[in-house]
Amino acid sequence: MKSILATAATVMALGATMTAQAPDAAFLQQYCVTCHNDRVKAGALTLASLDVTAVDGHVEVWEKVVRKLRTGMMPPEGVPKPAAAARAAFTGALEAALDRAAARRPDPGTPALHRLNRAEYANAVRDLLALDVDVAALLPPDDSAAGFDNIADVLGVSPALIEGYAAAAASISRRAIGSSTIGLDRTTYRMPGDVSQEAHVDGLPLGTRGGFVITHTFPLDAEYDLQVGQAGGARLGGPPGAGPRTEDLYVTLDGVRITLQGRGATRLKVAAGPHTIAAASVVRSHAAGADGVFHVETRTPGITQVTIAGPFNPTGPGDTPSRRRLLVCTPSSAADELTCARTILSTLATRAFRRPVAPSSAELDTFLEFYRRGRGSLVALKPNGEGGFEFGIERAVARILVDPQFLFRFEREPARVAPGAAYRVTDLELASRLSFFLWSSVPDDELLGVAAKGTLSAPATLERQVRRMLADPKAEALVTNFAAQWLYLRELQNAKPDTPEFDGNLRQSFQRETELLFRAILREDRSIVDLLDGGFTFVDERLARHYGIPGIRGSQMRRIELPPDSPRRGLLGQGSILTVTSAANRTSPVQRGKWVLENVLGAPPPQPPPGVETNIDGDASKAKPVSLRQRMEQHRANAACASCHRIMDPIGFALENFDHAGKWRTTDGQTPVDATGVMVDGTRLDGVASLRRALAAKPDLFAGVAVEKMLTYALGRALRAQDMPSVRAVTRAAAPGRYTFSSLVLGVVKTPQFQMRTKAGEL
Amino acid sequence: MFLTKKHLSRRTVLRGIGASVALPLLDSMVGAQTPARSVAPKTRFAAFYIPHGATMDKWTPAAEGAGFEYTEILKPLEQFRERITVVSGLAHPYVAGAGGADVSAGANHTRAAAVFLTGSVPQRGAQAHLGISADQVAAQHIGQDTPLPSLELSIEESVLACEASFSCAYRNSISWKSPTQPLPMQSNPRLVFEKLFGDGATAAERRGRRQDTRSLLDSVMAQLPSLQRDLPAGDKRRLDQYLEDVREIERRIQRAEASARQDVTLPDVPAGVPPTFAEHVKLMMDLQVLAFRSDITRVSTLMLARELSGAVFPETTIRDPFHNLSHHSNDRGNMDRFAILNLYHMTKFAYFVLKLKETPDGDGSLLDHSLVLYGSSLSDGNQHNFSPLPIVLAGGASGALKGGRHVRFPKDTHMSNLLLAMLDKLGARLDSFGDSTEMLSL
Repeated sequence: MKSILATAATVMALGATMTAQAPDAAFLQQYCVTCHNDRVKAGALTLASLDVTAVDGHVEVWEKVVRKLRTGMMPPEGVPKPAAAARAAFTGALEAALDRAAARRPDPGTPALHRLNRAEYANAVRDLLALDVDVAALLPPDDSAAGFDNIADVLGVSPALIEGYAAAAASISRRAIGSSTIGLDRTTYRMPGDVSQEAHVDGLPLGTRGGFVITHTFPLDAEYDLQVGQAGGARLGGPPGAGPRTEDLYVTLDGVRITLQGRGATRLKVAAGPHTIAAASVVRSHAAGADGVFHVETRTPGITQVTIAGPFNPTGPGDTPSRRRLLVCTPSSAADELTCARTILSTLATRAFRRPVAPSSAELDTFLEFYRRGRGSLVALKPNGEGGFEFGIERAVARILVDPQFLFRFEREPARVAPGAAYRVTDLELASRLSFFLWSSVPDDELLGVAAKGTLSAPATLERQVRRMLADPKAEALVTNFAAQWLYLRELQNAKPDTPEFDGNLRQSFQRETELLFRAILREDRSIVDLLDGGFTFVDERLARHYGIPGIRGSQMRRIELPPDSPRRGLLGQGSILTVTSAANRTSPVQRGKWVLENVLGAPPPQPPPGVETNIDGDASKAKPVSLRQRMEQHRANAACASCHRIMDPIGFALENFDHAGKWRTTDGQTPVDATGVMVDGTRLDGVASLRRALAAKPDLFAGVAVEKMLTYALGRALRAQDMPSVRAVTRAAAPGRYTFSSLVLGVVKTPQFQMRTKAGEL
Repeated sequence: MFLTKKHLSRRTVLRGIGASVALPLLDSMVGAQTPARSVAPKTRFAAFYIPHGATMDKWTPAAEGAGFEYTEILKPLEQFRERITVVSGLAHPYVAGAGGADVSAGANHTRAAAVFLTGSVPQRGAQAHLGISADQVAAQHIGQDTPLPSLELSIEESVLACEASFSCAYRNSISWKSPTQPLPMQSNPRLVFEKLFGDGATAAERRGRRQDTRSLLDSVMAQLPSLQRDLPAGDKRRLDQYLEDVREIERRIQRAEASARQDVTLPDVPAGVPPTFAEHVKLMMDLQVLAFRSDITRVSTLMLARELSGAVFPETTIRDPFHNLSHHSNDRGNMDRFAILNLYHMTKFAYFVLKLKETPDGDGSLLDHSLVLYGSSLSDGNQHNFSPLPIVLAGGASGALKGGRHVRFPKDTHMSNLLLAMLDKLGARLDSFGDSTEMLSL
């Protein structure tokens, strides 16, 4: 117990600059209780009976007060406001009181039993068996809450999930080992319908246009049928419906050009394992406009799909990354087999269960039983009697992949700790927390080794491991899972702005731009505030044209510097965010304002009150000469709406120079764009630059939001009021270094929430 | 039409990373035996959800009783007149939260689909809490003898970003096995196909793989109790649930082994999500009918779109996104255009009803032996209100439902009263369901 309390104290000492002074009750009386009292109960909140000098027991209310004051949402317009210094002093003292309360009685929380979500399952299979799987085709989708799909509370179980796990385990184990029982498969990769193929695609040979590159894992050394589908569009001067001739195709296997036999399937001999196939159309005519004509007539001439069928006439499992990863020994004789099976299965079980499982341990018996049954099974034996060993391994691998110890992240409660008390998780549990946070996957051998020795929680070791993990390519999961959900990038897949400027290519460039910016911050350990006001971005020719940036040629995303006055600096100028916060046929200043409030300022606006008409679009079809802004001004004349919209709308209006697909504009229909407004704190806005300046001037607010999101994601649970002292501590500690990415990550890892648990009470 | 193509995810297209576990060639799965029919007809239950309500004055027939005139939106169902029951006057107050208090809030979209088959209040908080849905009650009563108790489908993929303080589960599923167990609704026809018919190229291979799966699950069941040690009570409960679900799959495999039928000719395995809404809906409905016909399941739900869906339906003349247009501002032109979308969706439902009618089942057709619900939990999408709801029933419920009528109940009659009555017709005799006040007499 002693060490437990000491940990909490060390961690909380991060928030060192706490003042011991109690918050001033008179301030509260003067500026808050006039409305929030038992009689008026504004916002269904009364502070009259609460003692601000004794915050314990009411931390939820007081954290709400802190948030409203910090973000300038209270007191509202039309009532006396405190001087900035008085407000800051009161807020600071209240925060300090809350932080002290948390340090006195640490409550790191009791996260529910975590199940691996789809992304984590796929990454774990990749790391355990060196096999890429299409997890969306194997498992039902996960639910999400609090903005992320790794929230333990909602990662429920269902019969469909069990079914998926069992089927996935069988299929994955067959493919990992290259089982002779693998039957004919056919996979078709299709080009989405809204992608145009006029231009060269990054990763394909120069002199081609359109097409795509795929990495396909061939299960066995065998023959496979490859078939490339071509555009249904017209050739120039030819009849509609006739595709380009096959010699117009450029198809490569691992970079080597192959010639297809006409339009049907071409049979190829391919070694087992992952191979890269590229298919594109050869550019025949350089005549200006020729492709433009194609485009007009056919939308997307070019490659429609690539189909791979096989294996035919297999000759063996080959030498694949999966077999090298899994088969860590090879039995030299029948007498060797059981020892080798033990080695293989204990190695896999250790990685899968994220704790040491010795080759001699009794818990291997279950898996060895499956091994033995497979070993002796007649299906697997070749005429010469070989093959039984590997089939035995395959069955045991399937059993390990359905083991709850793989699929769930168990954290056990020590018996000696009292219910309601906080305690440290074990080093092995901490290793899993780290790897699922930073890699969305299982720990690697090094992390597991350190944890098994019991030294992972030593601060210096922990920091070394975190830095090593951030430098690992697997940290890309922070981009694809954490950032993509925080920044709404996943919503981009559903966005279909109604404009001829937009297609699948632009959608992809939007997504890549934001991902690359986030990745640069991660890889170069930049300030998280660069997300708001970074001096660079990433564009290809298509995106640069959309942004009106001259001189960019080609399909490769490349980094470009942005001058201080560029509208494209930071997220607020990126097509991805601007599009997902728009309606399909117009901008939505409300949604944009709401996005900024939630994701930059940390002040999510409340829901519209009951009985309020929230629609402003109805008249759109009528040819009234009323601009969107005028319509919104009208609706803000209503006091019930105005209380929130006066906060949201000016922020959204400042972005009105970007249309609903993020393109720069100076008029909206016939009306000149008016991007002026006044923020709730009195800051005057006249467009994106002024908004960006205003937001970047309060880096602590944005950094605080980043920490909240990161802590939510790291813990896999929604934050509670009791967690806010840790959010503040991490934010404060990262301030001197201007909120570098690693300082936020390390701060999160050091919180009691990340390293400890509260023992559940009796139920 | 079954597609034999796999959709390439957008991310993989241009740069191209992506492997997949591929699908088996199922040509050899086609059987050619004669049907072995059971004697008594088994009633099937299906429910279809559409979001955003409807243009009610173009939905609700003017006259009541048998000879009513079909309205513009219901017109596609007229061809099945004798098997159609239009039910008017119903309301789902929990769409507006506990007590129906949140009258026109945007949150009603978040709640609407969840309330449709449950008649329960969607609780706020990270952990979803609702109530069991009528289809799942039905599955407990009529779904236990088939390989699958029920089949849940949707056209759109799950949404990941939802209104703060509400779990996304409320928008993602209308089928709830218990108050805390939303069932995932599958949108990929290929996965639906594998779920229905199994994995493997031949009957022998499918049988072998089923047995392999059983032995895996047997082993996990034996192990689970030992994993409960030193876990918090909440985690233990989750593992209990897991064990229950494993048992459920075991039972399904047993039933599949016992009832593997050879008389249904299987189509090619569909390879992925078709590119258009029309093809996708048709394929999903084909699979539902196939599942009913081969008695793999007797209960199925399908969401044609999710609440707040921004889908555009290019087969119609309407270019506005679905949700946008539902906010018609009481403008007649907008309401008429919204009705075109309502009609379009109704033609899809009519396709399903037609398939049921064309499929022989015992002494009649599947339509004679089905009870099918189609409708929304919202009335006027512009106001997010929940009364009166657009609701129509199809099918004869094996003689339990007399069709050919428009029945109008007093304003604000709880929709749960209808759900209670429907369950009754399926043989599930409950005292109450959701927020029912009494059983509707139909």
